[in-house]
Amino acid sequence: MATKYVKYVDVTKCDGCRACMVACKNWNDLPAEPQDFLGSMQSHANVTADTWNVLTFVEHENSKGNLDYLFRHSSCFHCTDAACEKVCPENAISYTDKGMVVVDQEVCVGCGYCEQNCPFDVIHLKTYKDENGKEYRKAHKCTMCTDRLDEGLQPACVTTCHTGAMEFGEKDEIISKAEKRVKEIKERYPNAQVYNPQGVGGTHTIYVLAEKPSVYGLPENPKVPTSAVLWKDYAQPIGKAMVGGVAMALAGAFVANKFFDKKNGGQEEDGGGNHE
Amino acid sequence: MKKSVVSKEYTNLQKEIIKLQEQWKQSLTPEIVKPSLDKAAIEAGVPAAALTAIDFDIPLFLQWIDEINDLISKQNPEQGPRVKKLGELLDSETAIRWIDEAFSLNQFYFVSFAQENEIEEWIPQFFAETALRPYLQLVAEVLKDEITQAIPGLGCPVCGEPVRLAQLEGEGKKVVNCPRCLAHWSEKRVCCSHCGNDDHKTIQNITIEGDPTSQIQVCEKCHGYVKVIDTRQFISKPSSAILDLNTIHLDFVAQENGYTVSARESESN
Repeated sequence: MATKYVKYVDVTKCDGCRACMVACKNWNDLPAEPQDFLGSMQSHANVTADTWNVLTFVEHENSKGNLDYLFRHSSCFHCTDAACEKVCPENAISYTDKGMVVVDQEVCVGCGYCEQNCPFDVIHLKTYKDENGKEYRKAHKCTMCTDRLDEGLQPACVTTCHTGAMEFGEKDEIISKAEKRVKEIKERYPNAQVYNPQGVGGTHTIYVLAEKPSVYGLPENPKVPTSAVLWKDYAQPIGKAMVGGVAMALAGAFVANKFFDKKNGGQEEDGGGNHE
Repeated sequence: MKKSVVSKEYTNLQKEIIKLQEQWKQSLTPEIVKPSLDKAAIEAGVPAAALTAIDFDIPLFLQWIDEINDLISKQNPEQGPRVKKLGELLDSETAIRWIDEAFSLNQFYFVSFAQENEIEEWIPQFFAETALRPYLQLVAEVLKDEITQAIPGLGCPVCGEPVRLAQLEGEGKKVVNCPRCLAHWSEKRVCCSHCGNDDHKTIQNITIEGDPTSQIQVCEKCHGYVKVIDTRQFISKPSSAILDLNTIHLDFVAQENGYTVSARESESN
């Protein structure tokens, strides 16, 4: 079985330098998105179609009444059971052989279901204009630098992290490391925890959070929407089966019809002959 | 993106050989290596392995030759009959000679051995070198705390192999690696391994478009080069020998542009 790899983000080691954001823009040739001052150190309110990772800055009063300045590298989690993949009607979203969730922009029709259903709000649509001025949209998000992974290289954001807050490695090792790290920091951060939500089958980005997920604006227990499960896992296969059944019935009817028509035609000819 | 120009089959063969060499090295005890490092000799550039008494196990060496033979025959049945003859030609006396000649990289001896015995030219040296390396690697391992730097232009301080490969580690530290004996030592980031030139105006870094991890550090003073690979970006680090093989295209680029791995300042003048 192929080795499973995940990205590890220990937010307690992050110093908020934002080099991961720059490395991502640089590697993926993403355009700059100048922003107005948002009232904090945070540069962008959220990830966008052209900014695939954002360093979030949260001012949080901890249980001792002190201020914690919490940083988090925020980007696609690459869920094992991804809602975006489930809801995509065009199958434009798929998993790579390493389990990363990627969008095929050639196939994407810009319906926006992925954007609406992502529990982490990390996939967004970009509006383009064709030569006739007609607008169309395509979904974009972090690819976990799949092109680098295919060449045996770590994602650009991981490579550039100078504090060692981010790593890329084998899943089991990373989970053990994350659990060990949580034990180490429990005294300072009593709410510290590993964030690898099972509601989406686990993710390919494993976080060590200093606080509860909600403090970082993350869902405590994200899930693939039931409607998406019903749609992709039940309605679509049944629908396809039904379409298949109908097609088979139509084909059967066509053949039968032809056969009987021929038979009838033959009788008529015979009849015609007899008549003559 | 980086792409190795080496065929998958050959890379896989080399990986298997490296695996065998590691097993062989593990089967040796460090006591068979008795270094007697003479400071003056080391400073004069004599490789440490040449100053070390190694208790070679000749039957074991011959057994390793057989194992390489089996591996090559298995991986590439076409080569089987060509390499099989070697088993008949080797005895203890020849093995001792092979060890000496492989250590000193005496290509002429192996070429004439091949011609005398009507075997392909590459076979004797390839086998001798492959079976010798575990011993050299053991020497490098035993001496790792004592050999921490090299004298520019004199090759690997352990085995004398010309310097051609370095890796970036930690915060960007340049660590020179010997793909032959796997010895490694630190060097200044802007410094020529061949002539010691550290003038930033005459040290250039050639980057390969689309390859984010590789650079060729060239010296305009002695026309020497070293491949500098940022393996910090790799998901898993290959051994120096495999890294050297997979970056062979960089050697072509450097050598086609007039740089060499045996450059000396005096030669360029």
